[in-house]
Amino acid sequence: MSTVRCVDLCKTYLQGDREIKALDHVSIEIDEGGFVCLSAPSGGGKTTLLNAIGGLDRPDSGEVWLAGERIDTLSKGELADLRLHRIGFVFQAYNLIPVLSARENVEFVMQLQGVPASDRRARSLDILAEVGLEGLENRRPAEMSGGQQQRVAVARAIVSRPALVLADEPTANLDSKSADSLMGLFTSLNRRHNTTFIMATHDERVMAYARRRVHMLDGRIVEDRLQDGR
Amino acid sequence: MDTLTVLFRLAWRNLWRNRRRTIIMLGAICLGVWAMVFLTALTRGMVDDMIEDGISALPGYVQAHHPDYRDDPSVSNLLPQSASAIDETLAGSALRSWAARVRVPAMVSSERETRGVQLIGLVPARERDLIFLDYEAVEGRFLEGPEDGGIVLGRKLAETLETGLGKRVVVMSQTPGNDIADRGFRVVGLFDAELEAYEEAYAFTGRTTLQNLLGIGDRVSEVVVGGDDYRDVDAEFAELAGLMGDGVEVKRWMDLDSYLGAMLDVMDGFLLVWVVVIFLALSFGLVNTLVMAVFERVREIGLMLALGMKPISVLGQILIESMLLLAMGLALGNGLAWLTIHPLESGIDLSIVGEGMEMYGAASTLYPKLTAHDVLLANVVVLALGFLASLSPAWRASRYDPVEAITRVDG
Amino acid sequence: MGLTLRLAWRNLWRQPRRTWLTTSAMVFSNVLLIFLISLQFGMYGMMIDNTLSLMTGHLQVQAPGYREAQKMRQVVPDAGEMAATLRAELGSERIAARASAFVLASSEDRTQGVQLLGVEPDFEPRVSTLPGLVREGRYLADPQAQEIVVGRVLARNLRVGIGDELTILGSGRDGSFAAAILVVVGIFDSGVSDLDRSIAMTSLGAFQEAFAMQGAGHQVVISATQLAEVPALKAAVEARLPPGEGLVVHDWDTLQAGLRQMIQADISSAFFMYAVLVVLVAFSVLNTQLMSVLERTREFGIVLALGLRPGRLGRLVLLETALMGIMGAVLGILAGVLVTAWFSKHGLSYPGLEELAASFNLPGRMYPRLTLWSVLTGPLVVLVFTLLAAVYPALRLRRLEPVEAMRAA
Repeated sequence: MSTVRCVDLCKTYLQGDREIKALDHVSIEIDEGGFVCLSAPSGGGKTTLLNAIGGLDRPDSGEVWLAGERIDTLSKGELADLRLHRIGFVFQAYNLIPVLSARENVEFVMQLQGVPASDRRARSLDILAEVGLEGLENRRPAEMSGGQQQRVAVARAIVSRPALVLADEPTANLDSKSADSLMGLFTSLNRRHNTTFIMATHDERVMAYARRRVHMLDGRIVEDRLQDGR
Repeated sequence: MDTLTVLFRLAWRNLWRNRRRTIIMLGAICLGVWAMVFLTALTRGMVDDMIEDGISALPGYVQAHHPDYRDDPSVSNLLPQSASAIDETLAGSALRSWAARVRVPAMVSSERETRGVQLIGLVPARERDLIFLDYEAVEGRFLEGPEDGGIVLGRKLAETLETGLGKRVVVMSQTPGNDIADRGFRVVGLFDAELEAYEEAYAFTGRTTLQNLLGIGDRVSEVVVGGDDYRDVDAEFAELAGLMGDGVEVKRWMDLDSYLGAMLDVMDGFLLVWVVVIFLALSFGLVNTLVMAVFERVREIGLMLALGMKPISVLGQILIESMLLLAMGLALGNGLAWLTIHPLESGIDLSIVGEGMEMYGAASTLYPKLTAHDVLLANVVVLALGFLASLSPAWRASRYDPVEAITRVDG
Repeated sequence: MGLTLRLAWRNLWRQPRRTWLTTSAMVFSNVLLIFLISLQFGMYGMMIDNTLSLMTGHLQVQAPGYREAQKMRQVVPDAGEMAATLRAELGSERIAARASAFVLASSEDRTQGVQLLGVEPDFEPRVSTLPGLVREGRYLADPQAQEIVVGRVLARNLRVGIGDELTILGSGRDGSFAAAILVVVGIFDSGVSDLDRSIAMTSLGAFQEAFAMQGAGHQVVISATQLAEVPALKAAVEARLPPGEGLVVHDWDTLQAGLRQMIQADISSAFFMYAVLVVLVAFSVLNTQLMSVLERTREFGIVLALGLRPGRLGRLVLLETALMGIMGAVLGILAGVLVTAWFSKHGLSYPGLEELAASFNLPGRMYPRLTLWSVLTGPLVVLVFTLLAAVYPALRLRRLEPVEAMRAA
C-alpha cells in the first residue's frame, strides 16, 4: 500500500511580478518503507512538494493522500495534529529550539503529544544513543557541531516512530564525513523500522543512498527511477 | 499539562536569552510598581487619617439629630427623646459604640479674650472610642462623669485666651428662651489634637452640667454611633434609624461631611487613574520588548509550528513570557515598596507644610498605609492590562506561516 | 553631517514599529505632563486669587504677634489715617483699614458667636470681594454707620432679615465690656460656608466706638493687581510705616501660610509622579537603543573595519535618539496643546471634585492654563532624559572590536 499519494498537484508563487510554477500537475505515489530522494535545481519545486506532502503548505489544486487519508482539505489545526503525530521533519538549518538542550528538543514533540514524563525521558535517551549522541544529552544547540545538531533533529523526527520522515536538504550545512554518517543513520533507521524517508536535496552524496530517485525541473517530474541504494 | 510545562520552560528560558533587555524591562516594571504602591500607601495613609480624624470630630459614623439641627445647630433643636430614654434604648441594641451628647455654640471668655467654640456636654465613659482625643494624653485630667463641672479646652484656645490649668473662664451660651446663660468654669484639662483647628473649635464639659446651665432638663442635641469600618456604615445606620423613630434625622458621615465623603471617592478614583497611567507608560516598553522578542524568533516559532505545535500554544508561550516578566517585576516592585514604606510607618514629618496639610484636613505627620486592597489593585491592574497589551504581539506570532517563517533568510 | 543625519533617520525606520512604540511612550508622557502642569498651575493661580481676593488681600500691616494670637490689644494705631496716607502716597485705592473682634451677636430669639469686622465702606470693596457678594439689601453706607452686614447662614441661624437689630456683646481693646446695637442692612452669600456662618461687618467708626479702639484698627489690607508686584509693594509700604511702632507687613504667603504650603505639598507629590513618568520613558528609550545597537553589531563591525572611527558610531546612535526624541517632543507638544486647549475651553470635572474644590475656593469645573512654560517644561525634560538614556548604548560602541563584531550573529 502506498503511504503517500499525490494527484495532479499545482502550486504557483509570485516572485516580484513573475509567476513561478513550483508544482505543475505533479502526481506521485510512494510506498511504505520507501527511501526516496527528490532532486531538482534551486527553484525546481522539491521543497514545495515536500511541504505539500508534510501538510505544511496547501497546493492550489490537486490532492494529497497520506496513508489513505486526504490531507489537503484539512484545517490548520488538523494539519498541526497530523504533523505532530504522523510525520517527522528534518530541516536544512534552524532545526532545533535554541533554549532547549538536546534531550529537551527530542522530548519537545513527545510533550506536545502528551507522552508521560518517565516514558519520554527513557525514549529520548534511547533515541539519542541510537543516533550516536550518548553523553551530549544536556548540551544546548549552540554547544554542538552542525552534524550533531542534525542528529538531534533526526532523533526528534523519529522518536515517536512516525511512518514518514521528511528531510529538506538535511546535509546542506555538513561536511562530507558528517553527511555520510547522517545518511548511514537514515538508511539504518529505514531498514530497521521500515520508516518511509523522503529527502529533498541536490547533494549527490545523498542521492547515492536513495533507492528511488525523482528528479524535478520547473515544477514537473522529469525522471523517476529505482536504483540500488548504498 | 505537559504542553503547559514545556511552554513555561520555553518562556522562562527565552526571557533570559536577552538578559540585558529583560533586566532593563524588569527595572522599569519594578520602578513603576514601586511608584504605584508607594504613592498609593502615602495617599491612603493621608486620606485614612483625614477621614478618621474627620469622623471622630463629627463625631462617629452615624449621627441622629433634630431635623432642623443641621441647618441651625442651636439649643432650640434638640432630640425629642430624653437622654435617659435614649441611653436605655441604645443599651439594649446591637450597637456597640454610641453616645448621646449636648452640643451648642458658646463663647468662652478669659479676663483677656473671648472666643467662640462648640461646647460639648458628654458622658466621658461613653465617648472613649468616639472622640478624637485620648483621655490619658490630656494635660491635667479629662472629665470624670456627666456631673463634672470642669471644662477641658484645646491647648491653642487656652493660649489665645491666655488662660491655663486651674484658671477660670466664663462660658456664655443661649438658652431655648434666648436668654444668655453664663457660668464660670474651672479649666481642668488641656488637650492636643492632630489638627490645630480642633484645639480651637471644641471645648468639653459634663453633660448634666451643661444641661443644667442651658436649662434643657434631660434633653440632648445628638446621638453619635461608631463602628468597625468607616467604608461600610449601613448596618449602624439602619439600626440607629430604626431605634430613633420618626421625627429624627439619622445621617451617615459621608452625608454629613460632603468634603470627607467626596475625598474618599476622589482619592479612590485618583489612585486607580495613577495606577493605569503608570501602567500605560510601562506598556510601551513591554509591547516593544515582546515585539522584538517575537521578531527575533520568527524561525524558531516557524519550526515549532512546523513540528505540529498549535498556534494557540505559540500564543500561550508569548503570553506566559510576558506574564512571567510582569510577575517578576511585580514581586520586585512590591518588595521594594514594602522595604521603603516599612521604615516610614512610624510617620513622616510634614510639619514644614503643616498648615497646608491642615487646609486639606490632614495632619502634619503622615503615616503611610499599605493595604492589601490597594496592593492587590495595583497588581491586578498590571497583570490584567499587561495581558491585554501582550495579546497583539502574541497573536501575531501565532499567525506566522511556518513555511515562510522557517525559510526566512534574515531575522 | 548631512550623511550622518540621513543615515540616522533611515536607521530609525528599519524597525518602524519599534520606533513608533518608543516615540509613543514619549508622546504619551509629554501630553500628560503638558496637561497636568497646565492644570496644576491653572488651579494654583485660581486658588490664590480666589482665596486672597475674598478677604486677605496681598499684604497686611499688623501689630507684631497679631497674626498668631489676634488679640484685641494688638492694634495698628490710627489705622484709618494710615490707610489714607498709604492710599495717597502709593496712588492706589486698593488699601483699607480693618478692625476685628470675636463677639456674641443676639437677635430677638437667637445668639451666635461671630467674628465682627470694622471696615471702611468706601475702600473695603477694593480689597475684598465680600462687599460685592451682598445678595440682599445693601452694603454699609458710611464710615460711621451703626449698621451691620452678615453672612447668609448667620442671618438664617440668627433668624434676622433686613432692618432687624442685632445686639453685639464682647470685650473692648482695654478688656472692658463692649456692646452695640446695629441694624442689619445687608446679607452676603460667598458660597464659602465658614464665612457665611461666622462673619459680620460693620463700619470702622461704629466698631472703634463700641470697642474703645481710640482710632486704632487691627490691620491695613493692601491689594496688588498682580502677584508679581507684591514684593515691590511690600517694600514701598514698609518704607512708609510710622517709626517706633514696631508694626510689620505680612505678605500673602505668610498670612495664608496654609495656602502656600498646600501648594508646596501638592507640587512635591506632583513632582514625584512626573519624575516616575520621565524615568519610565528613559527606560523605554534605553531598551530600544540598546537593542538597536546590539542587533547591528555585525554591521557596525563592517564599517569599523572599513575605517570609521568608533566615536562617530556613538554619535550616530545619539543622533538617532535625538531624532526620535525630537519627534516625540514635537508630536507630544502638538497633541498636548490640543488636548489641554480643549479642556481649558470646556473645563474638566470629576465626580466628587465639586465638593473638594469648594473647600479650596475653586469652582467645580477646572480649567488648565496653557503657558509657554507649562507647555515646554515637560517635553524638554523628557528629551534630556531620552538623550541621557542613549549614552550607555553609545558608549558600548567604543569598546567594539571590528573582527569580533563581524563574527557576531
